[in-house]
Amino acid sequence: MDSRKKKHPILWWKLKQEIQWYTFILPAVICLIVLTYIPTIQSFQYSFYKIASIGLNKTFVGLKNYSSILRHSQFHQAVGNTAILALLGLMVIPLGFILASLVNELGRTRTQSFFRVMFYLPNILTGVSVVMLFQFVLRQSGGLLNSFLGALVGHEVTIGWLVDERLTKISATIISIWGGLGYCMLINLAGLQSIPTEIYEAASIDGCNGISRWRYITIPNMTKTFSFLMITNIIGSFSRFTDLYMLGGNSASGKPGGSLQTIMMYIYQYSFESPNYGISTAGCMVLFAMVFLITMIELQMTGFFKKNEA
Amino acid sequence: MEKILRKWPRYVIILLLLALLVFMLIPVAWAISMAFDRSVTTFIPNPPRLWPEQPSLFNMQYASTTIPLWRYFGNTLFVTVINTLLSVTSALLCGYAFAKGTFFLKKFWFIFMLTVMMIPFESRMLTLYLQYSGWGMNNTYWPLILGNFAYVYGTFMARNNIMQLPDALREAAFIDGANEYRTFFNIILPLCGPIIATLSILQVIGNWNSFLWPLIVINQKNKYLLSIGVALFNSSENAMYFGPRMAVAVLSSVPLVIMFVFLQKYIVASIALSGIKQ
Repeated sequence: MDSRKKKHPILWWKLKQEIQWYTFILPAVICLIVLTYIPTIQSFQYSFYKIASIGLNKTFVGLKNYSSILRHSQFHQAVGNTAILALLGLMVIPLGFILASLVNELGRTRTQSFFRVMFYLPNILTGVSVVMLFQFVLRQSGGLLNSFLGALVGHEVTIGWLVDERLTKISATIISIWGGLGYCMLINLAGLQSIPTEIYEAASIDGCNGISRWRYITIPNMTKTFSFLMITNIIGSFSRFTDLYMLGGNSASGKPGGSLQTIMMYIYQYSFESPNYGISTAGCMVLFAMVFLITMIELQMTGFFKKNEA
Repeated sequence: MEKILRKWPRYVIILLLLALLVFMLIPVAWAISMAFDRSVTTFIPNPPRLWPEQPSLFNMQYASTTIPLWRYFGNTLFVTVINTLLSVTSALLCGYAFAKGTFFLKKFWFIFMLTVMMIPFESRMLTLYLQYSGWGMNNTYWPLILGNFAYVYGTFMARNNIMQLPDALREAAFIDGANEYRTFFNIILPLCGPIIATLSILQVIGNWNSFLWPLIVINQKNKYLLSIGVALFNSSENAMYFGPRMAVAVLSSVPLVIMFVFLQKYIVASIALSGIKQ
């Protein structure tokens, strides 16, 4: 050993370096292989099998799980609900942008940091607490929102925000906007503040002011921020769980009437509440494909690929 | 829009923002008043009050005798501390290797890690759960902890951060005969304060709020994390005792709000910097 070490000191040193560097990343690599890659591959594999949940006896059934969820009316509803909730949730972006524009007008002052922090406060509240709070705010009788509306119109208002199937998606969106507005404002504000002031100065010399300035300078310079928020919002809405689960009375069936059951909740229901692993893993793969597709579309739209090629 | 804004004097904007802020935060004040109100039991006071009619701690006491609330706090604290330590350490170690190291297949392993960000957790939660069940780890905290040996997003952030540190530092350490570990602990780590703070804040918030995975793997009442215990209490008391429900909701938010009050500047900066929403 020792003589070889003396013969090739550089080789030995290099080997030692390699081993040293690998010890830095090895725990993480093992962790990702065992806890991410293997389960994902297994999930993909399970989606082609019929599995008895006890004992995990598997029979290969090809694409049968996929064809049965595609014919499952509950799954259709879940896909529709997911899409509607994702789109409604995007309203937070224009709202956050307007709020950020207002806060930005204050300049980098203590007043600005006060509003930045205070509007962010709802984000810091525990998700579970926020849902409980809104179960009270949106209650049919005695809820804060109905009391408020009642005071406005002058007579008692009993809108079933959380009971009426037609309204639940709007109520769920109110909750997500309330909780996410501060975050959206923060990201928009960072975007606004990263626009170089020289551009605005140059524009005002050229006589570009007011609305046109906003239209031709602010918004084009914000597209990156907007598309970032869109990606994170849409993908985030696919994995949304806590609030919808709690609004359904701690069940993944999306009560009332399945109006809040998303694909995520569908997967949960068939994984843990009424196990049918073939069906749930097929649902997983559909969700995976959707997340992947949207990420790709957004990356294409924002010119990510072009930039990396160049 | 800008033109309209330009015309408005500053105080109009401030008043507008204040009004909006009050509108947004009134539900919170309302909830706090109910949490401390002895008279709120099986009905919600109408018209709404912002100050409790009979101020008392009864609701909190009731809740903490119905469920082991303090135990849940302890459980969540335990898991949060361990996970934050583990994941931030892992992120820094990997980040350093990818930023400054030269080793075989470095690029491959980096892409290997980044790819994980494209795989939604939901698409493997069932098989991961079955895997842990097979290892007999149901109803233990292992499934909550082991995954933190890799923190992909943190690795990415730490790498970008450490890459900006000058190479001269490492060269000096090398000449002094330090190996990579000594270089990392004595030279790199002390310069990573801001990124450590950012990642720790993100991890604390994320762990405190985690819901889905603890819900799946822990089914023993005294082992629940706070979020799960509170959610179950909420549904079991549904339509019965309003005061205690609000008390629990308020209490479970207190630790993060306290943290926010003291670290608000860092927290807001961390979120803006990382773009991570919890």
